[in-house]
Amino acid sequence: MNMLSLYLNIAFAAYFAAMIFYFANLFFKNKAISYLARLSIILGVLTLTIYIALRGLAAGRPPLSNMFESLVVFALAIGLTGIFIDLKYNLKNINALVSLMGLLSLGAASLLDKEIVPLMPALKSNWLTIHVLTCFVGYASLTVGFVTSLVLVFSKRSSEQLDTISYKMIAFGFLFLTLGIITGAVWANSAWGTYWSWDPKETWSLITWIVYAIYLHMRLRAGWRGKKAAWLSVIGFLAMLFTYFGVNYLLSGLHSYAS
Amino acid sequence: MIKQTKIWKFFSSIKLAIWLLAIIAIFSLIGTFIPQGQEPAEYTSHYGSSAYNLLNITGLTHVYSSWWFILSLALLTLNLSVCLINRFSLKPILLGTMISHFSVLLIFAGALVGMFFGEKGYVQIKEGESISSFISENKKVDLGFTLRLDDFIYEEEISPKEKLLIYSHEDNKLLKEVAVSLGKEISFGEGYKVKIMRFIPDFSMDLTTKEVVSRSSEPRNPAIEIELKDREGNAKTFWVFANFPDMHSVQTDFRFVYQWGMRRPKDFISKVTVLKGAEEVAKKDIKVNFPLKFNGYSFFQSSYDRENLSWSGLQINKDPGVSVVYTGFLLLLLGLSIIFYVNPLVRRKK
Repeated sequence: MNMLSLYLNIAFAAYFAAMIFYFANLFFKNKAISYLARLSIILGVLTLTIYIALRGLAAGRPPLSNMFESLVVFALAIGLTGIFIDLKYNLKNINALVSLMGLLSLGAASLLDKEIVPLMPALKSNWLTIHVLTCFVGYASLTVGFVTSLVLVFSKRSSEQLDTISYKMIAFGFLFLTLGIITGAVWANSAWGTYWSWDPKETWSLITWIVYAIYLHMRLRAGWRGKKAAWLSVIGFLAMLFTYFGVNYLLSGLHSYAS
Repeated sequence: MIKQTKIWKFFSSIKLAIWLLAIIAIFSLIGTFIPQGQEPAEYTSHYGSSAYNLLNITGLTHVYSSWWFILSLALLTLNLSVCLINRFSLKPILLGTMISHFSVLLIFAGALVGMFFGEKGYVQIKEGESISSFISENKKVDLGFTLRLDDFIYEEEISPKEKLLIYSHEDNKLLKEVAVSLGKEISFGEGYKVKIMRFIPDFSMDLTTKEVVSRSSEPRNPAIEIELKDREGNAKTFWVFANFPDMHSVQTDFRFVYQWGMRRPKDFISKVTVLKGAEEVAKKDIKVNFPLKFNGYSFFQSSYDRENLSWSGLQINKDPGVSVVYTGFLLLLLGLSIIFYVNPLVRRKK
């Protein structure tokens, strides 16, 4: 158990260091700093992966069953997306905020109970892994899309590169959000005999999906770019946050075990 | 060529689609903040009776089947259909759009098939008894076969905190921690042996027969029966209670403490047999996530008798629309993938 916590603590420190280095890189254009930032986020992602794998081994089941475990997976997915942004676009300014989001997710996780408990019967299914992973790949991508949009909303100059990146992140996130909803529906049908029951979590995922569907239509059909589109992405992210946290803590339903 | 009347133009507009999507999202949102489909008493105690009347008349107690919600979905379907017909094209660049929008219509169509041709019901079967029909929307449906519940099993996950602690009476020293598993003999002290014989979640004694029974399957008064053997092999059996740590029926040199840890459900299993006439056709364990599928019907583990574990509640379902909906799901993913990842390549080539 102590060994496990060690990896989580290293990951926490690595995400924190990544955030500091990426922020520093905004002010001092220095090759060493940007390498350190990249190194830190990679270290964070590696240690989180080890942590999740060891926790899964200790639990004898996929470690994806409650709010604590999902927050750790969320942080991992955000970190991975951050590495992608850094390597593919060689872009650092966004990553200061991306690593902050990962850090917030780990910070929230640290406030929760880490105890490993056995899976409840409703979650004993192969769909658990595929459903949770597709959802969190989607969530992470939409989060990076949000961070990018936030920069667009608050910056004076418009940036075509940021605009394109936020669109690409949202498109990918939307595809995985769709996949997440679909795997959830198929799982629900195989466990309860109904693929849709207007449970608050389902309904909020649909609301989130609709907001992003509107974003895509406005962008692809009405030509919205820059700040206008960015605002829609911010609204979509708020809906996503409510789907993830609000439903668990404020509303009750089939997903109540997730809190 | 379709005549571009005013109404046609109205329903082919993207603006309408955006507004309808926004309206559907807002309607859906309302339904998550007002509890749906509850008993009238629950609403009146929560909101008051006049507010309940208002909620009931407006349909806010059943948003997702209210006329205004259905209407907004119907309008979106019409809008989507008109848009699809209007923009219908076999150009490769529009393929993704065509597929993804068509898939949404297909999902709606599958849902309608399920609504009109699906059957859904719930049965409670006592152990040893069987059913051959169920009630779906106030109509009796004959299964065409018989389902017998042979046994219902509720398995629990014993928390590592749940233990039997053995202290010495003299100096109150902890001698042994024993995990709660039945029938295992454990040595402790100098030549002593202890065995946990039975677990009773809600201990009670029948005063006339003096027999130990469990009043329910809820852990209201958890107790374990222990057999203690000394060096010479003389055995004593007695009960130890989690809620009453100092109540032993027998004097020994030790103090036994039954430390309770909350147990969690591990599995709910309905052992069933499918019969056609008198012939046994199939045997199966129905578990959560593992339904029985037979002749187009699916049986899902859905509830159980919390008091005596004497019956099992099964959800019965037949939905011929599912395959249509799933086809829609696949096409939606295909369409989106084409729009996001194939179209840019096609454009780049030009």
